[in-house]
Amino acid sequence: MSASLPTPPEIDRSDQADQSEIPSRVVARNEDADFWRRMLLALLAVSLSFVVAAVPILLSGKNPLLAYWALIRGAFGSVDSIAFALNKSTPYILAGVGVALCFRARVINIGGEGQIAVGGIAASWIALNAPGLPGSVLIPLALLGGGCAGAAWAAIAAGMRLVRGVHEVLGTLLLNFVGLLLVSEVLHGPMGEVGAGFPQSPLFPEQAWLPTLLPGTDLHAGILLALLAVVLCHLVFWHTPFGFRLRLLGSSDAAAAYAGVSVVRSLLSVMLIAGGLAGLAGAVEVLGVHYRLIQGFSGGFGFNAVAIALLASLNPIAVLPAGLFFGFLETGALAMQREIGVPSSLVFVIQGLAMIFVLCALGISLRRQRI
Amino acid sequence: MNYAVIIELLSASIRIATPLLLVALGGVISETGGTFAVGVEGMMLGGAFGGAVTVLVTQNILVGLLASMISGVLLAAIVAVATVRFRTDHMVTGLAVNILALGMTSFLLRGLFGGKTPVMVLPTIGTVRIPWLCNLPVAGPILFNEPLMTYLAFFLVIPVHLFLRRTRAGLTLRAVGENPSAAFSVGANPERIRAVAVMVCGAFAGLGGAVLSLQELGTFTDGMTNGRGFLALAAIIVGRWTPFRVMWGCLLIGAASALALNIQGWGLPMSSYVIQMTPYLIALAVLCGIGRKARMPAAIGKAFLRS
Repeated sequence: MSASLPTPPEIDRSDQADQSEIPSRVVARNEDADFWRRMLLALLAVSLSFVVAAVPILLSGKNPLLAYWALIRGAFGSVDSIAFALNKSTPYILAGVGVALCFRARVINIGGEGQIAVGGIAASWIALNAPGLPGSVLIPLALLGGGCAGAAWAAIAAGMRLVRGVHEVLGTLLLNFVGLLLVSEVLHGPMGEVGAGFPQSPLFPEQAWLPTLLPGTDLHAGILLALLAVVLCHLVFWHTPFGFRLRLLGSSDAAAAYAGVSVVRSLLSVMLIAGGLAGLAGAVEVLGVHYRLIQGFSGGFGFNAVAIALLASLNPIAVLPAGLFFGFLETGALAMQREIGVPSSLVFVIQGLAMIFVLCALGISLRRQRI
Repeated sequence: MNYAVIIELLSASIRIATPLLLVALGGVISETGGTFAVGVEGMMLGGAFGGAVTVLVTQNILVGLLASMISGVLLAAIVAVATVRFRTDHMVTGLAVNILALGMTSFLLRGLFGGKTPVMVLPTIGTVRIPWLCNLPVAGPILFNEPLMTYLAFFLVIPVHLFLRRTRAGLTLRAVGENPSAAFSVGANPERIRAVAVMVCGAFAGLGGAVLSLQELGTFTDGMTNGRGFLALAAIIVGRWTPFRVMWGCLLIGAASALALNIQGWGLPMSSYVIQMTPYLIALAVLCGIGRKARMPAAIGKAFLRS
């Protein structure tokens, strides 16, 4: 029988090896090119939003060029301002990388605000109620507590989605308001500082403060945590089966279903991760910046995180530059308001515009792929 | 709890439900056509701002109401262009417009008045007592002793209902939300219809914002809508995308808010912040209660591809 089989033709093994390598190299190069193309689009979107945001500046009777110059000087002008901006970026990066993972898996989690708020509450409670613990125990404990609280808060929305079919957009959005009111509630109740003019908790014991990195500045160790989170999420997303399942869910429902990806499990885990990171962001903010829980400490952070994730075109590693950009933008805007009286809410204008432009640019690229 | 308190509570529920109802009616139109209306929070804020600033300058409430609708439509136009022309994600686009509206209103509030927030004490839309009817025993003080825009909002439920159920245009709009390809095959233009629906939604939401700034409070403050747009979205789901049921959803949330406002004066051992959470918690609880029974328009959130 074997004799009847035609002898296989000579195969040039080196050629085959070459052929099998070419596609993978092409794919890698395409992914690379796609990454840089997306980054370029994001950069263009940001530039365009600065151009458009010049209109309201003109309407307020100020010179946009002078305003932007004041903004740049305010952001990069001194070591202090850079330290301030890095501190500002830290919670944005932490929460933003979680949002990026969620969006990749098509879970629209916009509950960062509430998750950050409850994370801050939990970390503050631990910091205030564990006297005598050394910093090396207390700080990790408080950070962990914040992360768990944030994850639990996100789990509520995830549970409502999975069990009762309540869309996570509405679930997370409505829980944001509850979370923010919860901060006010504890500050006017059990955790408030007696006799303070502002709703805030007493100052934490010094061993609960996050260590500063640069002596003489306010730069705290939180930025290292943010860096770690970004690298970990990058590795998980691109180099683990779990990350592969998320990518599959994001690209095609049919493919994900065929490969047996559990939507329930993915949704729950990605919400827990994002909630945990947001809770950690809240903990870092109270332990590193304020050394106490104050009302409204999380103002706008959750929506910042969404803007950052979009600007990073949902790529975990790109959340780092996007988050830094918003941190420096906000620092600069505060200086701009002080110096030439252009309101710092310009940040939100630029943020909203940049989001819209990035979305439109990605929409175009989506269509090109289809044709 | 005596008679007068109950009357006051019910009357307040209707008053508080008014801006929600206007926003929710707009949202029903947008979502029936297949576009998620997450941006209504921003359109509402834009309308509240446009109305308040115009009245501050012109002292004319009618012009203010018109300006609020224009502001809402302008923000809605961004959503329309992005979702229809560029096929962006509806949820995230809506969120972006919310952030943009928050930034724009806050910026212009200071920027237009020389860097400082102006003191805004605006003339408000007054209460109109309907002759004869307001003297009815129970219904009179509850239903017929309300501000002008409240009558308008509740009246608008009828034309919106008739439009969606009884007109050709309404049928086409529903077809576009259920199956845009089928609507396209019989000569409708799903893209244009969706864009128009979103802009009509913007006009409604802007008017809802004006009710807040020109009828309820008589002033404008940063982010004053404070999630009311999202509560309106919850009411839409509770009302399963039909105007009359959505109206009941708005009244339910209005009643929760009115109770929350009133309860603070009763000296109960409850903190005011827990009480302030009730509208959001009730909305969440009702959404959970409805569960999967809510059937949304089949093609909502999906881009229409001509192929």
